[in-house]
Amino acid sequence: MTTTNDEFARELARLTAAFVAQLPQQVQILNDDLAAWLSASREAGLFDRLSHKVHQLKGSGSTFGCSGVSEAARVLEQRLAVLQSDATGAAASDLEKIEAAMRALHGEADRIYRESLRGGQAGAQT
Amino acid sequence: MKQATLSRILYVEDDPDIRELVTMSLQLIGKFQVAACDSCAAALDLVDEFSPELLLLDVMMPDVDGPATLQVLRERVSAENAPAIFITAKVDAGDMQRYRKMGVLDVIVKPFDPMLLSSQVEQIWRSNRSNLNDNNK
Repeated sequence: MTTTNDEFARELARLTAAFVAQLPQQVQILNDDLAAWLSASREAGLFDRLSHKVHQLKGSGSTFGCSGVSEAARVLEQRLAVLQSDATGAAASDLEKIEAAMRALHGEADRIYRESLRGGQAGAQT
Repeated sequence: MKQATLSRILYVEDDPDIRELVTMSLQLIGKFQVAACDSCAAALDLVDEFSPELLLLDVMMPDVDGPATLQVLRERVSAENAPAIFITAKVDAGDMQRYRKMGVLDVIVKPFDPMLLSSQVEQIWRSNRSNLNDNNK
C-alpha cells in the first residue's frame, strides 16, 4: 500500500509540476480570448468558451493546490457571469472589473510559476 | 457469498489535467479499470465495449453536460443500469435534488483530495449496493 501511495505521490507531484509549468500560458490564452471577444464582434460562442475555461481553471487550480489561482479564477468567473445574459450590452464598468480580475489571475499564475522555479512545488501549495 | 467488487469505471471529463489526475488516482490507488474520455460522443464510442459498472461524470462540460450525457448513456443497454456519480464544483440544494431524481448516487465536490478519491468512489458504490440488497430482501 505504501508503495502504491508513494508511486501515486510521485505521479501527483509530476502532474502538479506540469500544471504549474503551463499556468502562465494557460492564463495568457484566457487573456487573448478575452481581448478577442472585447475587440471583435462579442460573439456569444467565444464568450461561452472563455467562461468555461475560467470555470475549469477554478476547479483544476484548487485540485492541484493552487488556491490563489482558483480564487482569482472564481472572481473572474463571477465577473463574467454578470454578462452572461447580455454579453453585447456590457457596461464599461463591468468590462473594467473583468479586465481587473483577469490581471489579478495573470499575476497569481505568474507568482506561483516563479515560486515553483525558485523552490520546487512550494508555490502550488499556497 | 462472494462480495461484489467494483471494477470498471467509465469517466467523462473535458478538463485534461483533472482527467489525468482522476484516472491515475482510480487506477493506482483504487486498482480500478478506467475508461476515460472527454465528451459524451467519446463516451458513446466506449460504453458498449467497456460495459461499465459505474459512470463518473463531470457536470460542467461544453456541448453536452454531465446530466445530458447520463441520459444519453442510459439509453445504451451496456449502461442502462450502471449507477452514476457526478463530480463538480457547482452544487447547491436544487442541483442535488435534480441529480437525485436522475438516479445519481452522489456528488463528489471539487476540489477533492486525489489520495482519497478512490475510497470515496468505492464507499458511495458500496452503500448503493447494500441499499439494493436491503431492498431485495
